[in-house]
Formats: sequence, C-alpha cells, structure tokens
Amino acid sequence: MKRILKIIKGALILLICLSCLLPFFILLILALNSSRRVFYEGNIFIPDFYWQNFLDAWNKSRIGTAMINSAVITAGALILTIAAGGMAGYAIARYKTRFNKLVFGLLLSCMMIPGIINTVPLYTLMRRLHAVNTLWGMVLVCSTLAMPSAVFIFTTFIEALPKDLDEAAAIDGCTGIAVFWKIIFPVIRPATASFVILNGFGIWNNYAQATFFLQSRSKQNIPQALSVFFQQFGGAEWNIMAATSAIAIVPVVIVFLIFQKQFMKGLTDGALKG
Amino acid sequence: MKKGKICIGQFMSLPAFLLFALFFVYPLLKGIGMSLTDWDGMGTASFIGLQNFMDFFSDERAIHDIGTTLIFAVFSAFLLNVTGLCYALLMNSRFRGQGIARVIIYLPAIISPLIMGYIWYFLLQPGRGYLHYAFLQLGLPDLTASWMGSYRTIMLVLILVNVWQYSGMTMIIYLAGLQAIPAELTEAARIDGAGRWQCFRNITVPLLKPSVRINVVTNIIGSLSVFDIIMSLTQGGPGYSTESLSIYIMRMCYGSKTGYSTAVALILFLIILVPVLISMRLTRAKE
Repeated sequence: MKRILKIIKGALILLICLSCLLPFFILLILALNSSRRVFYEGNIFIPDFYWQNFLDAWNKSRIGTAMINSAVITAGALILTIAAGGMAGYAIARYKTRFNKLVFGLLLSCMMIPGIINTVPLYTLMRRLHAVNTLWGMVLVCSTLAMPSAVFIFTTFIEALPKDLDEAAAIDGCTGIAVFWKIIFPVIRPATASFVILNGFGIWNNYAQATFFLQSRSKQNIPQALSVFFQQFGGAEWNIMAATSAIAIVPVVIVFLIFQKQFMKGLTDGALKG
Repeated sequence: MKKGKICIGQFMSLPAFLLFALFFVYPLLKGIGMSLTDWDGMGTASFIGLQNFMDFFSDERAIHDIGTTLIFAVFSAFLLNVTGLCYALLMNSRFRGQGIARVIIYLPAIISPLIMGYIWYFLLQPGRGYLHYAFLQLGLPDLTASWMGSYRTIMLVLILVNVWQYSGMTMIIYLAGLQAIPAELTEAARIDGAGRWQCFRNITVPLLKPSVRINVVTNIIGSLSVFDIIMSLTQGGPGYSTESLSIYIMRMCYGSKTGYSTAVALILFLIILVPVLISMRLTRAKE
C-alpha cells in the first residue's frame, strides 16, 4: 500500500514537471521549423532543425539591443534601489524620528499599489523631465516601484541586528553614512540577495511601464521589443517569432539555473519574513 | 544614539523618500486632479467635475472590463492557491530529485508573462496553432476552435495559463510555511492516534493560515492589474471581450482621453484598495 502511494506520488510530480516544461519544448520545435513546414505532414514532435531562424530572428528583431537595454535598466534600478533603500532601512531601524516613521508608513501603505495606477500622470511628469525614451528614466521608474519592498526588507533585517554593532563604530567618530556602508551593509548581504531575487526578474520583464516609457526603437527593453516586432509581423512567420521568443528567454533561464540554490533559499527567507 | 545632537544618519531615508515622493506620490495626487478634467494629453484641460466617472459607469465596455478583471483575479487567486498548496504538500517530503523538481516547477514564473502569452498563443490559436495540428494528427476533434471560441472558455484559458505560470511561486511560499511547522507536533499527534487527515485538518491548516493570507492577497492584487499575458494571448479580444482594466487605461490614454484614463486608474485603485485594506486589518488583528 505504501509503495503504491509512493509510486502515485512520484508519477504525479513527474507529470507536473512535464507540464511545466512542455510549452518550452514546443516553442523550441516551432523555432526550429522552416517557414514552409506544413504540420499536416510528418511527425509533429520532430522539427526541421532549421537553425537559420535564429539568425533571422537576431538580425530582424533588434533583440540584441533590447537585451543590453534590459540589462542596463535592471542593473541600474537594482543598484539605485539597494543604495537608497538600504540607507533608508538603516535610518528607519536606528533613528525612530517622526520623519522616518512617516517615510516607513508611506512606503509600506503603497507597497501593494501596482504601477499602472499612476502611469498616465507619471508620463506627463517624465515628458517634462525629458525622461521618456531614456534608460535612466526607466531606471528611476522601476526603482521607485521596487522601493517599498527594498525598504521593508532592509528595515526588518537591520532591526534584528544588535545595536552594539554600529554604536561602537559611531563612538569612534564614524558618521551614519560611513557606519552603514562599512559596518551594516556587508552584514545584511542575505537581505540584499532576497531583494534582488524578489525584484530582479520583475524589472527585467517589465512591460506595463516599458510600453509607455520606452517607445523609441533604440531604447526598447525585451518585452517592448518583442511586442513591437510581433505587431509588425501581424501574426505571420511564427517560426521567426518563436525563435525570437526563445532567444529572449535564454538569459533569464541561464541566470536562474546558475543561482537556483541561492534563489530558492532567498525566496524562502523572503516568504518567511513577509 | 546621543540626545540633542542631530546626526546625518537620521536623514539617510531622504533619498528614498524624495524618489518615491516625486515618482509615485506626486503622480498619484496629480492623477486625482487630472481625472476631473477633459485633458486629451496635448491641449488645455478644462474642469468637468465628476463627468469622467459618470462616463465610465455608463460605458458598457468599461463595465464589462471590470467584470473581466474581477473574474480573472478571483478565479486565478483561488486556483493558484489550490494548486500551489497541492504542489507544496506533494513536494514537502524528501525524495530524490526534489531540488530539480522545485526548480522546474518554479521556472515558468521567472519568464516574462508577455512571452508566456505568446508561447500559449502559438499553441492555442485556432486553425493554425500547434495544438490544432496535434489534435488532427491524433485523430481527435480540433478542440482549439471551441476553446478560443467563446468568452467563457477564453477567460478560462487565460486564467489557467496564469495559474500554470505562477503555481510555483505560490508553492514556494506554502513550502516555507509547511517547513516552519515543527515536526514534533505532528509526530506527537500521530502517537496519540490521530490519522493523517486529522493531523492535516487540526495542525497543518491552522498553522498555515499566515501563508494562505500572504498568497491570497498577493495573488488577488497581482491579478487585478493583469496586463502582459492578456496583451500577448488575446490582445483583449475578440473585440473588447477579454480586455482588463489595465489595458483599458492604456488604450484610453493612447486614444487621447488622458483625463478619462486617469479616472479609470483611480477606479482600479479603489478596487485594489479593498483586498489591501482587508489584509492590513488581518495583519493588525494578528498582532
């Protein structure tokens, strides 16, 4: 009886895993078919192995530029949010002034509000700042949206640290900013990792804001470039569209597989904190 | 810290505050003002009071979009929690390949929902999608045409794709919750003669409540602002039938109805506020 249960359980898990992988497998089949492939004939599981699609996709779609843009935006937004959010977390955890309490309350109450709510008025502000169609503008937008989560994670982490840690340094004459960067920041690395894990992919994949703020062709991020490219084709040449999609998901999958151990740990830590 | 002396340290929250105030709070407040005007994005705006809100509630398309958004959010959140919890219970015990299985189940969640929508579009498009040919070759009737044929089934497809993509995320939070339950507790109950079901019902479920709360609230809020996956899978179609409020906001903004689109955003904001306030109340009650 126990054995049968174990087998059923194993089969179920295998089935779930297969269902998670199958769409990727089919994407690969589509990406490897020539445009003349007729699916009515031949085995649907064996593609034509027409690798030219990937070259065509790369040359026609600007996905290369988009990847660089996505990387710049993601790195910029993460660094800015960690720097500003980390310092804010330190100030809020250690100096309970009225202002700091206000900042924390404000950020926390806005944490759940999705960006789409204020995107339209934000667009008019961005236009006045000449920040539309610039990578730095998108960095500021993404960083703002990630800020509540950063401040929340850093504040809870720093509050759990013993106070003697920074008080000793403060007596030695260090200012608050130096204490944070020299003493606190190295200690809260797990918090930083948790934040990057919880927000990095979201910034990389951002589409709802990119469709407003990154319309110029040279500044598109990956989702925006893909959607423009797909609209151009108007539903034809699926093989090239599939190849472009496959190229677009490669970087995320590689990063995820390399850091999967830290990733799963960071997610669990984040989940327990929340 | 020393009393009476002002240190620089206490103002270290200033950069984050300024950034957030300028790029989040200011537009939010400005949006309230804009929602009371007929601004088209270019010319001068004139004050029209609550006209935009009245227009919204007399627009059939807008009302339909509220329905679509709510149906998507409620069913997504419900199914995500059911599958996430089932996955977590399946994966909770130790077995070989556990790490790999977790990584695979989580994999869809890291990929852009826009791209996910495209992949499922390639699969499900009636008459030419991959599954259309798969059904033909297997000698089965072509089900894609009926799946993508009516509002009900298209909504179900959208919800299921969303659930398929994010079950892994929900699972991880439930797994964290399950692993925080001390093993001695269940062991003791088992020794006292409690069955598996009784243990689950009286120990696991009550201790899992915080995880359920986090999952339900984040899933509902996330699904209420759904944008990417509908844009790529159906473009809100056929017609406007599967359009969500987020897509409606964007389209109204591009359609030179800037003032009106901010009014719709405020209405979506009020809708999202309901689960936010409920979750805050529940958190406070716990404390």
